[in-house]
Amino acid sequence: MLKSKTFVKKTRSGGVMKIVREHYLRDDIWCGSEACTECKQESTELLKDACIESNLCSFPHYLVPDTNVVLHQIDVLEDPVIRNVIILQTVLQEVRHRSAPVYKRLKDIIHEKEKHFYTFTNEHHRDTFIEREPGETANDRNDRAIRVAAKWYSQHLKKFEADTDGLCVVLLTNDQGNKQKAEESGLLVYRFEEYIKSLIANPELVDRLALSNNDKNEITSSKVLFPEHLPLSRIQSGIKSGSFLQGTFRASRDNYLEATVFVQGEGEDSTEVLIQGLQNLNRAVHQDVVAVQLLPRNQWVAPSSVVLQDEGAAKDDAVEEGEEEKALKISAAEAARKPTGKVVGVIKRNWRPFCGMLNISQIKESTRHLFTPADRRIPRIRIETRQASTLAGQRIMVAIDGWPKSSRYPNGHFVRSLGGAGEKDTEQEVLLLEHDVPHQAFSQAVLSFLPKMPWAITPEDMAKREDLRHLTVCSVDPPGCTDIDDALHCRELENGNLEVGVHIADVTHFIRPGNALDKEAANRGTTVYLCGKRIDMVPELLSSNLCSLRSNVERLAFSCIWEMNQKAEILKTRFTKSVINSKASLTYAEAQMRIDDVTKNDETTKSLRGLNKLAKILKRGRIEKGALTLSSLEVRFHIDSETHDPIDLQTKELMETNSMVEEFMLLANISVAQKIYDEFPECAMLRKHPAPPPSNYDILLKAAKSKDVEIHTDSAKALADSLDVAKVDGFPYFNTLLRILATRCMMQAVYFCSGMDSDFHHYGLASPIYTHFTSPIRRYADIIVHRLLAVAIGADSTYPDLMDKHKHTDKHKQSALSNNLNYRHKMSQYAQRASVAFHTQLFFKNRGILNEEGFVLFVRKNAIIVLIPKFGLEGTVFFDSKDKTGPNLVFDEEGPTLSVEQHAFHIFDKVKVTISLDASNIQHQKIRMALIDPVIPGVSVPAPDVEPLAKKPKIDS
Amino acid sequence: MATVKVSEAEKVYILHGIRDDLRVDGRGCEDYRHVEIETDVVSNTDGSAKVTLGYTAVLVGIKADIGKPKPMVPNEGYLEFFVDCSANATPEFEGRGGEELGTELSNTLYKVFNNKHSVDLKSLCISAGEHCWVLYVDVLLLQCDGNLYDAISIAIKAALFNTKIPRVHISADEEGGKEIELSDDPYDCMRLDVENVPCIVTLCKVGHRHVVDVTLQEKACSVASLIISVTHKGTITCTRKVGGGSLDPESIFEMTEAGKRVGKALHAPLMALLQQEESLGKKRQKVGFLG
Repeated sequence: MLKSKTFVKKTRSGGVMKIVREHYLRDDIWCGSEACTECKQESTELLKDACIESNLCSFPHYLVPDTNVVLHQIDVLEDPVIRNVIILQTVLQEVRHRSAPVYKRLKDIIHEKEKHFYTFTNEHHRDTFIEREPGETANDRNDRAIRVAAKWYSQHLKKFEADTDGLCVVLLTNDQGNKQKAEESGLLVYRFEEYIKSLIANPELVDRLALSNNDKNEITSSKVLFPEHLPLSRIQSGIKSGSFLQGTFRASRDNYLEATVFVQGEGEDSTEVLIQGLQNLNRAVHQDVVAVQLLPRNQWVAPSSVVLQDEGAAKDDAVEEGEEEKALKISAAEAARKPTGKVVGVIKRNWRPFCGMLNISQIKESTRHLFTPADRRIPRIRIETRQASTLAGQRIMVAIDGWPKSSRYPNGHFVRSLGGAGEKDTEQEVLLLEHDVPHQAFSQAVLSFLPKMPWAITPEDMAKREDLRHLTVCSVDPPGCTDIDDALHCRELENGNLEVGVHIADVTHFIRPGNALDKEAANRGTTVYLCGKRIDMVPELLSSNLCSLRSNVERLAFSCIWEMNQKAEILKTRFTKSVINSKASLTYAEAQMRIDDVTKNDETTKSLRGLNKLAKILKRGRIEKGALTLSSLEVRFHIDSETHDPIDLQTKELMETNSMVEEFMLLANISVAQKIYDEFPECAMLRKHPAPPPSNYDILLKAAKSKDVEIHTDSAKALADSLDVAKVDGFPYFNTLLRILATRCMMQAVYFCSGMDSDFHHYGLASPIYTHFTSPIRRYADIIVHRLLAVAIGADSTYPDLMDKHKHTDKHKQSALSNNLNYRHKMSQYAQRASVAFHTQLFFKNRGILNEEGFVLFVRKNAIIVLIPKFGLEGTVFFDSKDKTGPNLVFDEEGPTLSVEQHAFHIFDKVKVTISLDASNIQHQKIRMALIDPVIPGVSVPAPDVEPLAKKPKIDS
Repeated sequence: MATVKVSEAEKVYILHGIRDDLRVDGRGCEDYRHVEIETDVVSNTDGSAKVTLGYTAVLVGIKADIGKPKPMVPNEGYLEFFVDCSANATPEFEGRGGEELGTELSNTLYKVFNNKHSVDLKSLCISAGEHCWVLYVDVLLLQCDGNLYDAISIAIKAALFNTKIPRVHISADEEGGKEIELSDDPYDCMRLDVENVPCIVTLCKVGHRHVVDVTLQEKACSVASLIISVTHKGTITCTRKVGGGSLDPESIFEMTEAGKRVGKALHAPLMALLQQEESLGKKRQKVGFLG
């Protein structure tokens, strides 16, 4: 049977189009119930004895939720207790239309076999399809469609009443009108809360209920705290006319009453608008897209440099507000005012479930508690739970439901518990979630694209590739590395020149464009290395086996082969897909030993020596061109093999072989970058590192000047040279410190698409062009580069997305891809740092209190930041405290110096501190440092007796 | 134009018949053939009608689109006509064969319908000088058996009656920038007033008399015909002479009077029929093209 659906649509050019869709109705859509003997279905989803302990319905029943129930209560629906649910197509479509994340979650539930969710395509069923009536809104029509379908089910199931104990359907809706109409037509219908509360066996579900509108009113006082948000139409017209600005809301980490709105302008022209005060922040949450209105110029303020944290118990809405904001006003008097505005409306909420911990309400019987997110930029959230005592001390996830204008805090509901705070697994989960690192196990769809094991190189592969198995190829990596993506060789040619090859795992042979595996990898963007854990970008079979260039197995590779003379000048470059057989996988230390051991003279060692020799020449050449050698302290933990607790840590040691491998990787990357850019000037995936603006160097210059050392920052070369000569007698660590500071001045290197930008320069490497080619196992950018290069040398076919580059930013694939890669890259670095920080804390937890020497790295208004070289640890020593009056502090920005009472602190001063773990705030455990030396009365603390490992706390067993 | 060859004897037979007010198919001089009308036949137009007149069949579809008003009349919308002579109708239309006829027909249609006396063009205005509705009237000739003008005009009137224009409203922001907003209810639409829309009556001079609704055979016996568009009140809005022969003033007067009479008589049953069809609503049995 054919029906047609008609609707009118506005076209982009302002016209109006009438669109007619044909709609076919069928009589072969089955009900999906096990109890049914009439439908000719092959398999059934819904169980015959759909029993759940409910004091409302004692008989077996199926649930039919309406759209709003699914949208708002997806957290409850996800619970394993909720089974035998009929999801109508009407509901599914509406959900899809209104919220992509909820739709995805719903789809996941439906696919889960144990949940027994059944999708009933009521819109195509002959008996349940309805047409929109005149005067009926789209929502009314959908509600009616849901009722009609529920009615159909109840009549359908009635036929089998005899052998099903009265199986029926229960419609769940929170819409009063819908409920009434459903009751009139004889349906069994409950409000969702009502139904969930009736589940006597599972009281914990009640906590997960999202608050519906009626509940929100009860929870707060009627006093209006915030100005109303403007309707979307007003916002849109305001943005168009320029009276409002649209931007991303970024809450301040340090001050909960302050935020900036980042307004993306045309091209490079973006501005930041400062927002101060609760009223002006107007319920915007970090990452929301908001509309702001600029305040008149005389109300502009400067960002305050105070640290303000929203603390204390649930303040009953705006009692102390005056006081809270006073702290801001003081600093506002200073100069350096910035454009200031207020939030007038929220265009798009970007709420996700947040990790954090519960602050139990002081009132014992209270079920309302405040939840403090781990991310300080997120406001505290009020939730309702009856299991507060169990949740205390656990890391939990909470979702925001809404923020009424009469409430000081947003309202939310409990989603799930991650585990006890401070436990390693929980903390790891938290930091992965907070850094948005996709870390779920690979789905079946992704795994289905893996090659079948046992895998071997086929003769067809062999025919298309160059056979380099005879070469003495070896790999050099850090110890314990299982994803080996590069290997090297070097041999002397008959004409006296040297042939050097860099062989990179041929990941693109296994990951074909556009399939689920490729999409997953593109989304993950990079492998994330945490302490003791690796979150792979590609499944382990590839990362640690088929793509890993292990020794003495045949592996597919993408080789970059140069012919060089003895002066390391490149005479010829060629790229080829190949098959290699690595002769040895060495660690840096092993390789170093072989090179140094004069008695060894095997092929591998000779090859290594050749490489080492060339690498030294290359490095010298690079440094002469102005490449920077920067420094950042990296620490490695020695992890206890059983408890996985860190037992010792050491800073990473660099050996000659490290730089040998690095040198050839750089060379390969540069050669490939040049090749793909020559071949595809419009769509090559490159990496650039912009030169930092001169103001970035201020801190470095000041710091150096305080030690009478001059640093030139006119060019990378000048900087590198002046860093080389910067030395202070009797202060051997000075140079390293200076380099650490210089690192902090740098910009982030980013991926980009060559057609989109004209500046390709890589500042740090002093190379006019650069890309990433050498780690396709752990970086997706390299995969794209591999594909480009393969097309360039005719070894592989191309596909449309690879070359896709339109002039419009963000719409086209490669640029969008590089944005994602940059984001993932940044987040993975943050996650790594957070992981190191957490392990450092664990380490100090086990070690008790330590006294260490350190250097002042930065001087702030009320604190100094101290670096402990031994642990690569940075910490802050505060000189003021909240409760008591602090010492006399004088901050001089020129130095910069900070005088505490009589003593003045300069950058690079040597100090002695005591390090302990501050666990008073379990959510943000931090390393606390206190000054021991120099001794300043009232400020420094007496050196505590150090008893390492004396009171070793019980390690989690 | 589709033509048939008629022998001399046939011509005499037809001429003599008409002289005695009896035509070959038994009609009198001012009688129409059997007319069938169905509206809302093409779902993706805003209004459509199919008319068969004897064996002549035309299909009219109307699409409403938003355009800019003509500078001379900033507060009026307008109509656009296009006549497609399908080669289905007659093999002569194959290729570009129907183009000339199509242009001729659409030129006449502009004259007859695109004026504010025929259609309430002011109701098509959305915002003066900026936006108005443009009605694209597409005529498709499915079969030619004479008297195309009359059939087309009836079909256009029916299609205009059937046209449902989505209701729009203009929302103005503070700066006076205007934004067109569409209602999301597909039933929320505007109807046109077709009361004054004229119908065309073609009178053909055959011998000394004139006949309406000529068949192709009768047409072959005629040298000139007069096209008259008449409203329901009997007002003549347009006349045009077509054909190679000449008409004397007296017969023009006679023909006009006859046209008025016939036209007036045509409107009342047409409107009644259209309203009756409309009142059936969804219960109406659709005939379509295969019925």
